[in-house]
Amino acid sequence: MPLFVAGINHRTAPVAVREQLAVEEDKLRELLRDVQATGVTGELVILSTCNRVEVYGVADAPGEARAVAFRHLCRHRGVAEASLEPMLYVHVEADAVRHAFRVAASLDSMMIGEPQILGQMKDAFAVAQACETVGPTLHVLFTQAFNVAKRVRTETEIGRHAVSVSFAAVELAKKIFDGLGGRAVLLVGAGKMSELAAKHLVEQGAYPIYVTNRTWARAQELARALSGTPVPWDDLGPAMAGADIVITSTGAAGHVVTRGSVQQAMAGRRSRPLFFIDIAVPRDVEPSVGTLPGVYCYDIDDLRQVVDANIRERRREAQRAEALAEREVAKFLARLGDAEVVPTIVSLRERLETIRVAEVRKALARLPGAPPETREALEAVSTAIINKVLHAPITKLRESSRAGAGRSWTDVVSELFGLGRKP
Amino acid sequence: MHPTIFNLAVIGYICATGLALAYLVQREELIYRLADLATLAGWALHTLALVVLGVESGRPPLGSLPQAISMAVWVIVLLAMWAERQYGVKVLGAFVLPIVVLLSLKVAAGRPLGEITPTLRNAWIWVHIALALVGIAAFVLNFVGALMYLLQDWSLKHKRTGTFYYRLPSLATLDRLTYRTLALGFPFLTTGLILGALWAGSAWGSVFAFDPLALFSFLAWAIYAATLAGRAAAGWSGRRAAYFALVGFAALALTLGAGLFFPGRHGS
Repeated sequence: MPLFVAGINHRTAPVAVREQLAVEEDKLRELLRDVQATGVTGELVILSTCNRVEVYGVADAPGEARAVAFRHLCRHRGVAEASLEPMLYVHVEADAVRHAFRVAASLDSMMIGEPQILGQMKDAFAVAQACETVGPTLHVLFTQAFNVAKRVRTETEIGRHAVSVSFAAVELAKKIFDGLGGRAVLLVGAGKMSELAAKHLVEQGAYPIYVTNRTWARAQELARALSGTPVPWDDLGPAMAGADIVITSTGAAGHVVTRGSVQQAMAGRRSRPLFFIDIAVPRDVEPSVGTLPGVYCYDIDDLRQVVDANIRERRREAQRAEALAEREVAKFLARLGDAEVVPTIVSLRERLETIRVAEVRKALARLPGAPPETREALEAVSTAIINKVLHAPITKLRESSRAGAGRSWTDVVSELFGLGRKP
Repeated sequence: MHPTIFNLAVIGYICATGLALAYLVQREELIYRLADLATLAGWALHTLALVVLGVESGRPPLGSLPQAISMAVWVIVLLAMWAERQYGVKVLGAFVLPIVVLLSLKVAAGRPLGEITPTLRNAWIWVHIALALVGIAAFVLNFVGALMYLLQDWSLKHKRTGTFYYRLPSLATLDRLTYRTLALGFPFLTTGLILGALWAGSAWGSVFAFDPLALFSFLAWAIYAATLAGRAAAGWSGRRAAYFALVGFAALALTLGAGLFFPGRHGS
């Protein structure tokens, strides 16, 4: 039975449709059982995330299975089926395998290389397993897709570089300080993004955290939220001298951190580097601060530029990942192809072996009192004959399956040798 | 026997250099592994060549300046393989191996055997040469570490997210590498130079004996001494320490250049 995948994703359907179609887990169980109960699909997995709703299945008639699955889905979610039609895509066999591998490896994601999709796919697979709609084919497909995803993650840098401004700040800090354990962070002013950046730094081991603000109460509040220490606004200079990373995001109109104040702060540091992350607009840190030795200063545009470069880097890595996935698809199909012809080969062997054993027994019945050597010779010669006869057809079957034409040849062999239809 | 094996080793180093440079551009794990393998193969052949040379001539393979450089290259490669693993600097090869190839080609082009003069037949001379060599090898890595530091510093300062930004490790790591190699090389160079001076004093009656190599090496030593003092006492690090490493290496390169191109006691 052919393998297929049908669905919509962020490229084919607008968010309004995707959010309407997305299914929560308990509904998913219901849906899996309903579709499976119709009998059009042999196996079934439904993947539903905010960027895609896809049905992976094994069915004799993939077109019909797709229609049935989405009819149920639309009925569940109250979506007009006809409106969905132009957004649906269907991939069969090799294309379905390729699609599954690319989705798992995050090559089909909106943000290439984002790590969530693999977990979502594993969840979808687990739910389907719990509903007993997973058979041997989808089991191999998904297991292999997870392996491919893992390989892509470890062998390429597709997910290595930060694609958000706050993570880009962390990445830069690591390029300066290596490990962030024990690096002191000073937060000047408050803002969503600076708080987020500080949180990421803390997650990487940065400690202690100092918070300063023109409003003392706000400094105390934020310090509590980040388990840091509030510092009076007037002590900004000494606080800078003790920090490794300074994140600024005040609403001030002028520069809060001047070249002079940084020079002063650097005086007693024995060339320990200082990293400014200036998220404020207008900028809090005087731009010429970045030219001081041992001082690195990134404003919001610089961080965005790093993010852009990282995205380009991800795309470059994605090309390598695509090649890797393509090789895996070929390998997978070869194995699947062999699996397709193996039952025919086995029954062919069994058939000839049955004939051989029967004929040998008949011959021996006509030769009572034959010495053991004669019996052995008969066994040997008959075995040799069937092996010689079988060699060409078995080779042909294996070759044809690798070339993608296994099915027609298994039919021919079954007809010729009267093997009976495969189940 | 020895030149053939040595030439094979050089071929190994050349292959490794090409692969290491390719790895800088194309981050493919396979290329790195091949570069690593070629380096190891080159080094193993080099080891064999040195052993054969030592056995054939019945003394340490340090009898002439080309031989000494060959030994220095051997130590450089060994140190580079160690530093690469210790500091996780997978692109180190791209910076060290070109120097290795340059030096070993110079050795390969030189006369195969310049026999050491009878006056030099003294156990101390071997110790002097060996210690100085290890020092020089450590300073080659010191130079490479400083170079990588300055490239990464430049990338971060000028916000250039190019090859160096992505491939080179953090400034902290590179600074540690330069400090460590400085601290390793300095005692070797110091002891090597003292032994050389003492020995020269007793053999020729004069400490320097107007030998260009000796003069330049004392200059290099003074620069490294200043850097080490600055780092240990005044807390220098980063860019300043890196610049000093470059200047020190320039003096060291002049030393080797003087030894190779100008006649002096060392050149014999």
